[in-house]
This record gives sequence, C-alpha cells and structure tokens, in this order.
Amino acid sequence: MSVIGALANHAAGPSDSSADPLWYKDAIIYETHVRAFHDSNGDGIGDFRGLLQKLDYVQDLGVTAIWLLPFYPSPLKDDGYDISDYTAINPAYGTLEDFKEFLAEAHRRNLRLITELVINHTSDQHPWFQEARSSRDSPRRDWYVWSDTDRRYRGVGIIFKDSELSNWAWDPISKSYYWHRFFSHQPDLNYDNPAVLEEVWKVMQFWSDLGVDGFRVDAVPYLVEREGTSCENLAETHEVVKSLRRRLNEKYPQSFLLAEANQSPADVRPYFGSGDEFHMAFHFPLMPRMFMAVKLEDRKPIVDILQQTPDIPESCQWGIFLRNHDELTLSMVSDEERDYMYDVYALDAGARLYLGIRRRLAPLMENDRRRLELMNGMLMSLPGSPIVYYGDEIGMGDNIYLGDRNGVRTPMQWSGGRNAGFSTVDPERLFLPVLSNAVYGYQAVNVDAQRRSENSLLAWMKRLIRVRRSSRVFSRGRLFFLQPRNHRVFAYIRELEKERVLVVNNLSRSAQVVELDLRPFEGNIPIEMFGENPFPRIGQLPYLLTLAPYSFYWFRLRRL
Amino acid sequence: MTEDSLLSDEFIRQLTAVSEVDIVVGLPTLNDSDTVQRVVTAILVGLAKYCPRERSVLINPDGGSKDGSAEAVQAASMPDFRAVLVPNPLRTMHVVSTRYPGVQGESEALTMLFAAADLLGAKACVLISPDLESVTPEWIDALVRPVLKNGFDFVAPVYQRRRFDGMLVKNLLHPLIQTLYGHQVEEPVGREMAFSGKLAAYFLGDESRRENFPGLGAHVWMTTAAMAAGYRLCQSFLGPRVTASRRSGLDLNTTIQEVAGTLFRCMEIHQSYWISRDGCEEVPTFGFQPVLDLDAARIDRKRMFQMFGRGVNELGSVLEKIVSPETLRAITEISKQEEKHFLFPDDLWVKTVFEFAASYHHSVINRDHLLQALTPLYRGRVCSFILENARAGNEDVDRKLESLRQQYQQQKPYLIERWNRQA
Repeated sequence: MSVIGALANHAAGPSDSSADPLWYKDAIIYETHVRAFHDSNGDGIGDFRGLLQKLDYVQDLGVTAIWLLPFYPSPLKDDGYDISDYTAINPAYGTLEDFKEFLAEAHRRNLRLITELVINHTSDQHPWFQEARSSRDSPRRDWYVWSDTDRRYRGVGIIFKDSELSNWAWDPISKSYYWHRFFSHQPDLNYDNPAVLEEVWKVMQFWSDLGVDGFRVDAVPYLVEREGTSCENLAETHEVVKSLRRRLNEKYPQSFLLAEANQSPADVRPYFGSGDEFHMAFHFPLMPRMFMAVKLEDRKPIVDILQQTPDIPESCQWGIFLRNHDELTLSMVSDEERDYMYDVYALDAGARLYLGIRRRLAPLMENDRRRLELMNGMLMSLPGSPIVYYGDEIGMGDNIYLGDRNGVRTPMQWSGGRNAGFSTVDPERLFLPVLSNAVYGYQAVNVDAQRRSENSLLAWMKRLIRVRRSSRVFSRGRLFFLQPRNHRVFAYIRELEKERVLVVNNLSRSAQVVELDLRPFEGNIPIEMFGENPFPRIGQLPYLLTLAPYSFYWFRLRRL
Repeated sequence: MTEDSLLSDEFIRQLTAVSEVDIVVGLPTLNDSDTVQRVVTAILVGLAKYCPRERSVLINPDGGSKDGSAEAVQAASMPDFRAVLVPNPLRTMHVVSTRYPGVQGESEALTMLFAAADLLGAKACVLISPDLESVTPEWIDALVRPVLKNGFDFVAPVYQRRRFDGMLVKNLLHPLIQTLYGHQVEEPVGREMAFSGKLAAYFLGDESRRENFPGLGAHVWMTTAAMAAGYRLCQSFLGPRVTASRRSGLDLNTTIQEVAGTLFRCMEIHQSYWISRDGCEEVPTFGFQPVLDLDAARIDRKRMFQMFGRGVNELGSVLEKIVSPETLRAITEISKQEEKHFLFPDDLWVKTVFEFAASYHHSVINRDHLLQALTPLYRGRVCSFILENARAGNEDVDRKLESLRQQYQQQKPYLIERWNRQA
C-alpha cells in the first residue's frame, strides 16, 4: 500500500482484530517516545517521520500496540507532560500531517496507537492558564483551582517531594495561589467547571477522529479536589471518568481508556467501575514486587500482591509492566520494602529519585540475561496486557547522571554507528546524549547487532512475544497459584475455557527442584511451549521438575 | 558400607524445598501443645521484626508427641503483624516439622538441627524451648544478632534469675566451667542459645556428639565443646525465663545425672584443653539488664537438710570410694550440725566436686551411682547457701559467688593432681 493510500484510510483502525472491541485485552503494548525513537531530519530530536521509518521494527517485534508519550507542544519542563496545546504536534516532532501518515502506516501494520491524555493539569504556558491568570475576572479563571490562601486542602500529599514544598503556588500576576499536584509549572484543571470537561471531550474527539485507538489518561486520581479529603480517588473524579467513557463508547466504541493511577489494587479497582469507567489500568504495585521477588528469591511478594488484587469486570484488563519512562516507583510498598529495594537496586544514591529508582530493566538486572528473560517471561505470562518500554527489548542501559528521569529516556540504540543510528546530527546537538559506556553503550547494545544473532535478547523477545500471542490463555485466562513448598519457585496455572498453561518460574540464582501438586490435571501431558516438547504425563504423584537458575517453563497441558 | 542417614527422606524433601537459608530456628517439642503455639508466634514475629531480610526456617523436631504438638506448630497462625507493630514479612517463613526417635531426647533433635543447618548453609542457628511462657520476639534478636552482625559463634543466654534460683548452675556448673574452660558464661546450660553455621558444622562433625548426651547434658556439651574448640563466645540478656509449671519440677537426680554427668564426661573429652589452660576471659554480654529485685525462689530448706543428712548417713560406703577420707570426714561432721548452724563451706564443697569429677574420670564405681551420690551432698550445699545468704542482698550474694569461683580456681591444681593420679 502506498503512503497516499494509507493516508486515505487514516481514520480506520488496524485490520486484523478491528471487529473485536476487547482488542486491548490481547494487546502487547510498546511504549516509546517520539523524541527518543528516531530522528529523520537530522536535528537531534526524534520525530514522527523517524518513528514511521522504524514501524517495521516495531511490527517485527510482535507487539500489537504503540503507546506514545506526549508529543504535543510543550515547554518540556516535564518531558511533555506539561502541555501547552492539546490539539497540535510539537513542531520538533513534525506536523499533524506527519502524525496522520505515521498513524496510517501503523494501522496498516495492525498496530494500534495509544496516546497520552494529560488532563489533570496543563502547562503554565498553556493559553488557558495564561488567560486565567491574566485577571480574576477572566472567563477562563475558573478553569483552574485558585485560592487566596495556601491553607486549603491541608494535609494532601506532595508527589514530587524532592522539588516541591507545597501543592499551592503563588501567581504574582493575579496575586493568588493556584493548585498543582505535580510541578508548580503544571496547574491543575478545575473539573468542577463543566466547561473543562467539555474541552477535554473535544480533545478526545479530535484525536479519535484522526484514528487514535485509545488514551492513556495521566494522573487520574487527582482530577478533583475536596476539602477534608486526600484529594485523591474522589467520587467526583469517578463521575468525570464515567462521563468521558460514556461519550467515548457512544461515538468511538473501539476506543479505550487506560488509567494511570499509582494506587493499591483495591484503590484502583473503582476505576474500572462496573465496566463503565476505564478499560484498563496499570497494576503499579505488582512491578516493584516482581523485582523484589527476584532479589529475595521468594515468590511471596508477587503472590501477596496478586492475592490482594480484586477481580475486575470481564471487559476490563490490567496493564502490567516492568519498566517505563518514570522511576521504578516505590510509593506503593512499605517502608521496609522500600529500604530493601533501595539497598539492593539503588545503592548508588544517584539512582534514587522521588520515591523510586530511575533505572532501566537491564541495569536493574545487572545485565544478567537469565534474569532479563525471567522477568520478561513473568511479564508475558501473568494476568494483564504487558507493556514493553522501548529499548528494554535489546537490554538498553541508562544514565542516572542526566537529571530527573531523563536517564531512562535516552535515544534508541539502532546501530553501532554515529549517534547509535538515532540521528545524523552532531552528537553535541542530540536532545540527550546516547549511552556510550562499555556495557550498555550503543556499540555494545544495538538493534543491528542483535538482529544478526538468533541468540540475541531481541531475537529471544520476539520468540517470547510470539509464544505469548499463540494463546489467549495468557491475556484472558484465569490465574491459579500452585503452592509448592519451595518458595523460590513461582508456579501458576493460566486457564481459559478448556485450555490450560502451567507456568513455572525459578526465582533463584541457583538450580532448584520443585514438586508440583498437579493431580487436578492427572492424565495431561505438559508440552513445553517454546520447543513444543512433551514432558512426562501427569499422574497422582507430585510432578518433579528441576529448573536451572532463573529459568522458567511454560507448559501447555494437553489431554492426549 | 553406607552410613546411617541423620535425616529422613521426608525431612530432606522438606529441606530441599526450603533450600539455602540464613537462620535456622530449632524448636524441639515433646508434648508441648499447650504452650508451643505462642512460642512459634513469638519466633515468627521476632524473625519478621528483627531479621526481615534474612531467609529463615523454623524446624520443629518432635519426639513423637501424643498431644499433637507438631500439628500445633504447623497450625500456629501467622499473627496480624501490623497489630504487633511489625511490617508484613518480605519473605516466606517456612515451618518444617519432623520426627526424631525421642528416646535420647534433645540430643537427637539437636543432631537433626545441626545436619539441617549444615545442609541449608545456615549462617545462624537458634534454639528455643517449646514450653516457654516468657519468650518474646526480642529473644530472637538478642540471640541472632551477635552471630549475624557481630561474628560470634556461640551466644549463651543470660536470664534474670530469682535469688536462690539456678543453684546447680551457681554452685557447680558456672564456676567449674569457668575454672576449667576459662570463660565466664553465666548460663552454661541455657536452654535458649544461638550458634553460627560454622559451629553447627563443627558440632555435627565432632565425634563426641555421638555420645548422645541426655537432656540438658547436650547443652553442656555444646557450651564446653565450643569453648574447647576456640569459637568466639558471647552472651545475651533475655530476661526472666518462665516455663509452663508442669516442667519446673524436674527430678534433681536426673538433672544432676544429665548436667554434672555430662560436664564430668566433657572434662575427659577436653582434658588436653583445660589441664593446660590458665586464666579466665570475660565474655561480651549484649542486651539491657534492668535492676529488678525478684522474689527469692522457694526452696524447702528443712527437707534439703534432712535429705543431706540421710544421704550422708546411708551412702557412707559409697562416698568413701569417691571422695578422700578427709573430705568424707568433714562432710560427715557437718551432717551432724544443727540445721540453724549448718554450713557446707566453699572449700569443702569445691574439694568434694573435684573429687567426684576425678572419681568419675577413674570410674571408681558405676558412674550413674557416683552421680546419684552427689545429689544429697548438693542438697546440703544448697541448704547451706540459703542459710548463709538468707538476709543477704543481691550484691552480697554476688560477692559470695565470686568467692566461690575463686575457691574453684585455687583448688584447680588439686583437681589436676587427683585427675592424673591413676593415669
């Protein structure tokens, strides 16, 4: 199909599963940043044309959807989460036409596109805020949360404690305080004003009309404020979400909403409503516990959190991930767990940021291929739609000396050539320097090199994703834990209708033996899913398996 | 030829599942279902609170309880940790129960623990009694920390004792061990203790372990073996030791058989060590010891005195084979004193103990009979000690005990002379 032909179809979704409104349940999502992926015009900043040029790579990886970080006009004080225009493209990344072309090509490759809907706040450079602060009588004044005192909503937590002292900031122009749960340059929108909600809906329509398949809604719990509360997860916030979901369903029934709510599973559960709020929500607390489990060599942290995870409506799904563009957040763990995580994963204090660890997957796993595989194996076999952060599929490293979370947002490493194949610009002009150290630098870790090896991490990730996609039992099946005595072995059954998969993970750095009680599946033959090799038939006796360090098995249980 | 396995296949299966650990807590049981659940809870809370990052397993060797002790251990539910101000444990806490033959008592159980600790590569092992009523989670910290954090190999307990409590320890075990082995361990027969994995491996490999010292004797053997092998010792203050009342009245004859008998045997095993050793080292003590004046233990002094007199009278022919004529004469003389003026002086008591030890060594009579003959003399000594210190304060009693220890030290050459006499 020509580019022109694709453009003509830009509003249409991907062809293969377009009829399935639950497509997101089977999705494997690739998270990336336009700015960091590929630079087509040699200005040192990634752009939509660069992204388009790399779509074959994304498709080849086997993922089914792309989640793009904010690409809107922005002062970029918070990597684009400070938006100054909701319906335009940041000129550094291209034009709206470039975006349309990219989207059409993505759809042509059966790749869905999920974009950011940052609606809790805007940039203080957004015209809405400029207008609102210009005068207390401005018609936009009530689009934000103002106060003559900074004593309202006392006791509400400060998210960026490293850089903010208060959730109120003084506006010298209108001589009053405005509310911001995030940085002071990100004033919160006021959802008590119906006009704000209407404007947000217009934004959603704008992108949906262009063909965007879904929205990752940023900072959901903080939309509405009320005195005497934590200003999080309020009933009024749920009303906002329900309103947007209802309209989205009516006009764009294939679209979906993904909630960013860094809360406990019990607190996130209401955001699914009765299937009338979010389609998907990130399972934040699971992620640190996966890291904890591997370090502790003990399944307990994972089992604990999954057992605390409530059931969600049939049409809903968890979004699970190992790493993303933010720090590895430890806000949802106990003080003791956080101390432990810092001690084992961030001994270098420079790796600690806010309440988390600003590191990528490979450095966290000390570049241990076996642990990288184990973590990805669990990611792909636990309940939820897995999200792969760009570069983690090749084991990219990070640079904790770049400030804030930029260290995990460095240019994608395509080759061992100039600027890692990301850009032809002089290295000094890159938006962030490429990694160049001996272990994780682009000459050691890059797509080109890994494409040449059947044994590379990239090749392995492709196989993993292919096997994951071979069965919906992973994306839609129920989960049952097995409880072998050996706590270093994390074993579970995924079951969907008559299909069952047995997953056995060795969390330990040493070889383990495990006896599994598989009597309910007596007579089944476990077929190892990567090699399609049959194992001995399951009988009445405990099923004995030995596992190499950090290894895992996926067995399809078949009655033959 | 294959050696007998120390561990059953089923136990090994359970240990295989547990795999490598940092801490093994041993909790031997024998019909302790009334108290053991609370002890298990204290241990689990202690591990969660003080060793949250360490991999641990609680091993319960059970001697064939008829009251479901092992089941009670398994059923001891994890408490609501938040209610006891403890965070939810990071790790899985394993509780493994297994059977030991039971005939030899704790000795078999300890061997299983040594072997399990060795198999699991434990860094620290802790022993806790199942009938404790005073155990708290803090005991785990007090016992484990010196091993894991301070590099000690053996942690003996220090209990807060009532006056006149632990008379056998104060009058015989402690001063004798201090004199011979050169370490001031207050409770050489403490039921609660900790030792390093390295020391557990040593215990396991030490040939003398095979003698299966009975009951409390196993603890005496462990303490003296650790000293003789040069391991780093310390002690930790645990507080009062209160056990379920049904256990408190252990037969004195049995206790002396177990404790004094084992110590005399250990003196033979370790003679090359203690005969040439001189001086005494203070042992580091951890923990905070509050100043509390507890009520004195109740001892039926009158009955003790009577049993002493009767024993000396009835056992004269036995005693003359064990102790020297001078000693026997002196004992006989004091046995005729009136109770209110009765005094079994330090020098005579120490000389008596030394002569018993030497006679045990030379097997002048059946060793069990020899130890039985010590019992009435010990009763006399206790009676005398109580009379002497009836109105004494704690500090006065401490001074008296220090004087007794010096007496042991002064007479050590006499012991060596008696010990070597027939060699």
